[in-house]
Amino acid sequence: MAASISGYTFSSVCYFSANSSADHEGFLLGEVRQEETFSISDSQISNTEFLQVIEIHNHEPCSKLFSFYDYAGKVDEESLDRILKDRRKNVIGWYRFRRNTQQQMSYREHIIHKQLTHILGVPDLVFLLFSFISTANNSTHALEYVLFRPNRSTDFFDKDGVMKDIRAIYQVYNALQEKVQAVCIDVEKSERVVESFQADVNKLKRQIAQRKNEKEQKIRLQQAILSRQMPADNLEPMFVPRMSYTGFAVEGCTLEDSDVSDPPPPYSDFSATSQESTVSHGLLESSVFMPRPQAVGSSGYVSTNTGLKYSGNGASMPSSQRAVGDNVDESEDSDYENLLEPTESSDSEYSQTRDSRPSAHPDGDSRNTQTSQI
Amino acid sequence: MAVQAVHLEADAFLVCLNHALSTEKEEVMGLCIGEVDTSRIVHIHSVIILRRSDKRKDRVEISPEQLSAASTEAERLAEMTGRPMRVVGWYHSHPHITVWPSHVDVRTQAMYQMMDQGFVGLIFSCFIEDKNTKTGRILYTCFQSIQAQKSSEYERIEIPIHVVPHETIGKVCLESAVELPKILCQEEQDAYRRIHSLTHLDSVTKIHNGSEEPANFTKPAANGVKALLTYRFQQEQPRVTQINSPWE
Repeated sequence: MAASISGYTFSSVCYFSANSSADHEGFLLGEVRQEETFSISDSQISNTEFLQVIEIHNHEPCSKLFSFYDYAGKVDEESLDRILKDRRKNVIGWYRFRRNTQQQMSYREHIIHKQLTHILGVPDLVFLLFSFISTANNSTHALEYVLFRPNRSTDFFDKDGVMKDIRAIYQVYNALQEKVQAVCIDVEKSERVVESFQADVNKLKRQIAQRKNEKEQKIRLQQAILSRQMPADNLEPMFVPRMSYTGFAVEGCTLEDSDVSDPPPPYSDFSATSQESTVSHGLLESSVFMPRPQAVGSSGYVSTNTGLKYSGNGASMPSSQRAVGDNVDESEDSDYENLLEPTESSDSEYSQTRDSRPSAHPDGDSRNTQTSQI
Repeated sequence: MAVQAVHLEADAFLVCLNHALSTEKEEVMGLCIGEVDTSRIVHIHSVIILRRSDKRKDRVEISPEQLSAASTEAERLAEMTGRPMRVVGWYHSHPHITVWPSHVDVRTQAMYQMMDQGFVGLIFSCFIEDKNTKTGRILYTCFQSIQAQKSSEYERIEIPIHVVPHETIGKVCLESAVELPKILCQEEQDAYRRIHSLTHLDSVTKIHNGSEEPANFTKPAANGVKALLTYRFQQEQPRVTQINSPWE
């Protein structure tokens, strides 16, 4: 859209405005036409552009304010006719000159504009706003002018008065949000599955490590027995080395198992696979073994003590106990499961994954390890 | 400084604006006619539109002949109005350029101040457009020159300017206003004559160069008609009466 006004008309408006001590307003006379430009270029065969041209030929100043509307902003058609006379058919808009005000249409101007649109029968009536500002010492002055087409903006507003663009944006946002929520639920489900798989993997890794340890311990025991059989037969000391060796073995395990670093357990995982779980700590109270940290190499005959140096992963049970533990674990596990059943009811997904897990549940020991973190 | 403030009568302001808005491609200039009162306020009652002999883009200079002619005109106006009128200042336009005077402008103003301490300079900046806000702007400022303290260069000092309401368009201003299209036409004519006088050019070139002239002629001519039709008179007010144009 292009709008033009001749310099003479413009300066005439400025002249009338300068002569007014208050605001000044009037009507714009001219014509509006549609120009169609037909361009041919190398890239396109033909390109038609429609350009609306607004030409302001002249203006009809109002001698005073409120000359065709009252203080409520109601336009009086009779007064309008008196001002415009036969120029009425040439009116394409109206203007207002203001000093030291914002470059926006005021509320009254909006109301008047709407009424003028109806009364004059010009759907695309324009409003030209002149605003005048000066420097503090009045040496420099500026007259700013901007053309409004308030009727055009009805394209932007739907019947609720909310801008169509904004409504569209809200719709897109809402749809996106729903989508995100749905995706979030799916992601959460898959994450839980991944977690349980990860826990299983960790468990299995620990099992492997434990079994390795057991083997090594057996070998060492056998070696120790063989070497000790020479001096004397004493059953008791046999236990001692076991204890100490388990200490060593524990160390060994610890060193090996440090590769298997478990991630922090999920809160929903109540099983004893997660020895770091503080939640399971309370449940561990009822379990058989209560580990207590023991210094390496101590020969204290601590039957209840599994002789564990503090380790993060519970692959530190004596092999014999462990061997027993495997079988015991099942029953313990089942007891454990019974204990846990009521609390698991809220986590349906978890119970599903629990069922699908392999029954081998070696971590009676890991359950028993202390829960304080390294 | 010597001048306290400038009061520009609204009809003179109208002519200045008309003149400034008439040409977009280059700067226009003119002289201000008026008087200075005892409180050192410069009253500008009318302006004289000057023809630019050298249509260079960034330079605006008034030749001594023009100044002398302007003084004669001022005397005529003094007789007509019965008031002591003289040339009190100059104005020029800055199309598409910021309103502040350039170094050349400040120097030119300083030169005029040498002959008259109360001489003032006005600048009208027009065709300023802000594409983002779709706002257009017209600015005007008033200034004088003083010697800078440190250097030998001149500095601008700001003079307050007020457009004083003048309910009717004075005769003098009307004449000046109508003079504008005439001057623009004459300038085009001169340009055409200059081209035609170049005998060494072949006729095709002459026709080519001259073919723009009719368009250039009709524009100021049409503007002249427009000017007459725009200076309308309203019947309701004790001011001016209406002239209906065939175009409306």
